[in-house]
Amino acid sequence: MEPVKFEQALKRLEELVSQLEDGELELEEALRLFEEGVRLSRYCQQELKAADGKVQKLVQTLEGDLELVDCEELLEG
Amino acid sequence: MNPYLTVSELNQYIADLLDGDIFLRDFWLKGEISGFKLYQQSGHLYFTLKDADSSISAVMFRSRARRLEFKPENGMEVLVRGSVSVFAPQGRYQLYVEEMEPYGVGGVYLFLEQLKEKLQQKGYFDVEKKKPLPAYARRIGVVTSQDGAALRDILRVLRQRHRGVDVVLVHSAVQGAEAPEQIARGIKLLNLYGQVDLIIVGRGGGSFEDLMPFNSEEVVRAIYESELPVISAVGHEVDWTLADLAADVRAATPTQAAQLAVADLEHLSQECNQLQQRLIRIMQRRLQQESEILDRLMMNRAWQKPRQMVQQYQQYCQELRVQMQKAMENRVNQSRQRLAMAVSGLERLSPLKVMQRGYAVVHNQAGIIKSVENVQPGDCLSITLLDGELCTQVKQKEKVIRWNL
Repeated sequence: MEPVKFEQALKRLEELVSQLEDGELELEEALRLFEEGVRLSRYCQQELKAADGKVQKLVQTLEGDLELVDCEELLEG
Repeated sequence: MNPYLTVSELNQYIADLLDGDIFLRDFWLKGEISGFKLYQQSGHLYFTLKDADSSISAVMFRSRARRLEFKPENGMEVLVRGSVSVFAPQGRYQLYVEEMEPYGVGGVYLFLEQLKEKLQQKGYFDVEKKKPLPAYARRIGVVTSQDGAALRDILRVLRQRHRGVDVVLVHSAVQGAEAPEQIARGIKLLNLYGQVDLIIVGRGGGSFEDLMPFNSEEVVRAIYESELPVISAVGHEVDWTLADLAADVRAATPTQAAQLAVADLEHLSQECNQLQQRLIRIMQRRLQQESEILDRLMMNRAWQKPRQMVQQYQQYCQELRVQMQKAMENRVNQSRQRLAMAVSGLERLSPLKVMQRGYAVVHNQAGIIKSVENVQPGDCLSITLLDGELCTQVKQKEKVIRWNL
């Protein structure tokens, strides 16, 4: 997940909740926002349940290219 | 062959002797600076190094002096690396300095003060240039030693708070001569790579000397120039390194850096749950409200007894029709009255009424005659009476002056 995406999703979710709490909306609009909110909160929950992250080492090859090397063993320490 | 030497030959001989000595080609020397001079034109530095009993003159050429990270001053204790050779024109041997660094804690503090001021002027520590940390970082760049305790602390805490985070490590020495360049390179490499949300750069605690790489201009500049937010984590609660001053956020320890770097997953999850629950509660309440409104509407008589409603409307229509008729009648009566009044007014003003009282109207072809001035004897005049016309001829005329005319 891109952090920006998650951050935006959470922010939008907060907006939706406060818009709905204001109660100024037409019912149809409210239902639309509610659906969006449910989708967003599912997305956020899903993202938070994401699998374990990786530990990788960034090295530069002699040709100057960047390369990622897995090194989970560092976690054992 | 001459039985004597020239001065040049002697100096050259001595120079060869000194230059041939392996030890004198490259060594470290400690001494106190005095008689310091910077030649503005050439950029070379000339000074004397001394201890309590002895002194030696020294020169540092511009190409070397340019790399100095501090400003040498008289009275400063320094370590220099260089060689000894002969300055033949004057027959003097002197020290050719390649490198120079402040010696001892006093010297180092002085050096740090100077460097701090210099970097401050360059704006490296400006608060307004600090970048905020992303709220939900998921990929963390780390520049530290892969063998150090700092990395283990960072990994452990990151995992505790948020198992989903990825870590991209750039290994570097964190102490010794190689460290500044390697740390700076690590920061640049991560920026080049770009796919991390922030960078933690640091090491576990250590002696004052161990922390020196984090006081180097190279590292400070790399931190300042980093596009990615940098958390410094030089494990040293008390003293601040220059890297700390340049970093966007300073953590006291690597552990704290990891805490600052990522949001607590547990906490985030709770936040998300709360939002979801609020969302559902609001919607339930809203739907309940709407259905209450609907219920109330459905209880209205219109839905209960439609025939009665229709009758009511019919009655209302009838009333309106009666009102309308009345209004029309009123309008007609008013008009009649106005007509009668107009007719009676007309009658009052009619010339016939006047003629009934014995008046007549005199006129000729030009119109009604109001004055004798417009009439000549012999003129034919018509006289209109109430019941007919008279045709007459004027015999004579006489003007009468009336008092009221």
